[in-house]
Amino acid sequence: MTAATTNPAVLRATNVRKTYQLGRLRVPVLRGVNIDVRRGEFVAILGASGSGKSTLLHLLGGLDAADKATTDTGPASIEFDGNDLIRLSTGRLDEYRRRRVGFVFQFYHLLPELTVLQNVTIAAMTAMGKLEYWSKRGEVRAHASALLERVGLGHRLLHRPAELSGGERQRVAIARALVNKPDLLLADEPTGNLDRVTGASILDLFTDLHKAGQTIVVVTHDEATAARADRVVRLVDGSVQPS
Amino acid sequence: MYQFLLTHRYLTSKVMPLLAALAVALCTAMVIIVWSVMGGFLVMLINSGRTLVGDVTVSWPITGFAHYEELIKRLEADPDVAAATPTIETYGLIGLPDGRTETVMIKGVDGPSYTEVTDFASTLHWKPIDKPHAKDTFSEDPRLANHTLWNFVFEGGKRLVRFEKPERGNVAAEKPGAVLGISVSGFNIREQWGFYPGQARARQPDGTVKPVQTILPVDGNVTINVLPMDSKGRAVDMVARSFPVANEFHSGLYEIDHKTVFVPLASLQDMLKMNRATKVATGSGVAINEKGEEVFTAPTVIGEDPARVTNVLVRGKTQSFESAAADKLADKVGVIYRQFAKDFEGQVPPSTSIRILTWEDQNRTMINAVRKETALVLFIFSFVSMTAVFLVLAIFWAMVSEKTKDIGILRAIGASRTGVAGTWLLYGAAIGLLGAVVGFGIAYGVVTNINAIHEWLGEKLGLYIWDPKVYYFSRIPSDLNATHVTIVLAGGVLASCVGALWPALRAARMSPVRALRFE
Repeated sequence: MTAATTNPAVLRATNVRKTYQLGRLRVPVLRGVNIDVRRGEFVAILGASGSGKSTLLHLLGGLDAADKATTDTGPASIEFDGNDLIRLSTGRLDEYRRRRVGFVFQFYHLLPELTVLQNVTIAAMTAMGKLEYWSKRGEVRAHASALLERVGLGHRLLHRPAELSGGERQRVAIARALVNKPDLLLADEPTGNLDRVTGASILDLFTDLHKAGQTIVVVTHDEATAARADRVVRLVDGSVQPS
Repeated sequence: MYQFLLTHRYLTSKVMPLLAALAVALCTAMVIIVWSVMGGFLVMLINSGRTLVGDVTVSWPITGFAHYEELIKRLEADPDVAAATPTIETYGLIGLPDGRTETVMIKGVDGPSYTEVTDFASTLHWKPIDKPHAKDTFSEDPRLANHTLWNFVFEGGKRLVRFEKPERGNVAAEKPGAVLGISVSGFNIREQWGFYPGQARARQPDGTVKPVQTILPVDGNVTINVLPMDSKGRAVDMVARSFPVANEFHSGLYEIDHKTVFVPLASLQDMLKMNRATKVATGSGVAINEKGEEVFTAPTVIGEDPARVTNVLVRGKTQSFESAAADKLADKVGVIYRQFAKDFEGQVPPSTSIRILTWEDQNRTMINAVRKETALVLFIFSFVSMTAVFLVLAIFWAMVSEKTKDIGILRAIGASRTGVAGTWLLYGAAIGLLGAVVGFGIAYGVVTNINAIHEWLGEKLGLYIWDPKVYYFSRIPSDLNATHVTIVLAGGVLASCVGALWPALRAARMSPVRALRFE
């Protein structure tokens, strides 16, 4: 247990459920998940394929909406900074994703037409008004360049994603996730598409970020990846397995 | 801000949207070209139609009205009136040198004042010229040589007289002459490119055309036949009079050039019995002498019947193509006429019945026909241009599908639904703007070189779309109007935005998670 595990919770999910409708069939993916993430904590959500871990990450990041119905176990909520994400308006959720969280995906999800630097600054652009960005564009570029330098891509600023290796693309995705200085970094199988050595270097980067105080939630099916975290939450068939 | 970045990147890295821009460009160019040519046609029509009528006409057809000199005096005293002139218009027959007789509109005009009110002088065809027509390759036009002769003919045309050759040292005598529309006689055959080359030519009965020695203003004569009416509108016997041809005019409007003949006002007044006449008592002038025989005596004069004209043409001091300017002048003329009618009550038509027409009123049938034709053609072409909307829609729909993952990424990093929709709308506007600008470039190139292009098509492919023989303008007119261009360009951008709207809304409604999982 690290000091972070005693910090106050920055994110608290209570009784979170998610059901997908496939034609006439209702498929429950999450069956009442409870999870706390404390400030500065590095949490790994470990589970097999189909356990609902990516769905949970999407709900925690405000990308998808959890079921609102109250069940016998009580109402569902995902509290962040005093707000319940489940009940936030679309606009407030956009704001949440813009400023409070950063996403890192398994398949990087970079915009292929943009350069490395533009892929990072575009996240800053979404968080600023046109005039604000125009007046601060120098600072934003400098900050994005510094982040890319920090992830080891200072020499690749003007390259396109197609010109980068998998590991490099994931580093760009990490820099993009960090550019708005989010409270929470959410990563979905960040090493799932990388070879072991490259994956390890990415995890080293996460470790460094965590040491610098970044709150991180990583979703993975890999025990070794989960071992890097302060705490591991095991998800089995849509429910958190008691530790 | 990211909308601008993505629009810029998508514009410079994709071929498909450039096809949409090309569609917008072609549609924009098409509408601008059509509007410019039709607009030019209308402007030329208005100019030509206006050439011989002045700005406002006071009209009392057939019988005419008296005391017109007084009316002209009062009109010319007004600060807004530059000049006024009396004219007579009547239908009649013209006997041509080759024996044909045609129905024509005969106008009696006072040369000097008529040239002040209208641009009659500029329409006179037979005058000295220094440069041949661009298509007169062999400089066949007789006006290029013998400038002295053509100067005489030109001056004669302006005054509607023909100067006869002086005999034995006498000064040149002048006779009242007729000025014919360039196509009245049928001797002047237009070439393909709308000029009258060489000497006058005559169409033979078998349809062929051969040069003839007679150039009408040099030694041609015509016979004018009119049917006079008395002041009550009753027909009197037909009157015929021979006139030497003083000149020919070319207004550019087929109907006018084909069917109009000018003669001196005094001559026509005389022929139509509209000149000043002495009224005598019925039965006076004849008496019975002591022998019971009829003898002529001096008639008892009981008054005078003043000269009459059917029209007074007025030219305003401010020349404007705006209908409002002519309407304003017409109102002023109306006020002056009301006072005039009051002062000559019973002798001139009442102000409630007199016709006061602007140049636009007089050509309304023709102008409105072209305006309606322009509107119809524009509507059809604009409708056809709507295909650009659907083309943009189809291309954007495909692009939104292709870029679904990008949309998911944007939503994941916090872009709002409005922001995503805005990206695609901005992209649509950029495509529209690019297309509109390129379209304007194409249209500008075509419109400013339309005659050269037409000439080239004619020479290389034998394709003559604009036949001056039909349209009666020697060159394809065009009027690249800034307002029209702005409207069409804005329409192009708007059409592209409309085409992008549905795909943009579809992009905005996408679930971020589904978009990210899209393969």
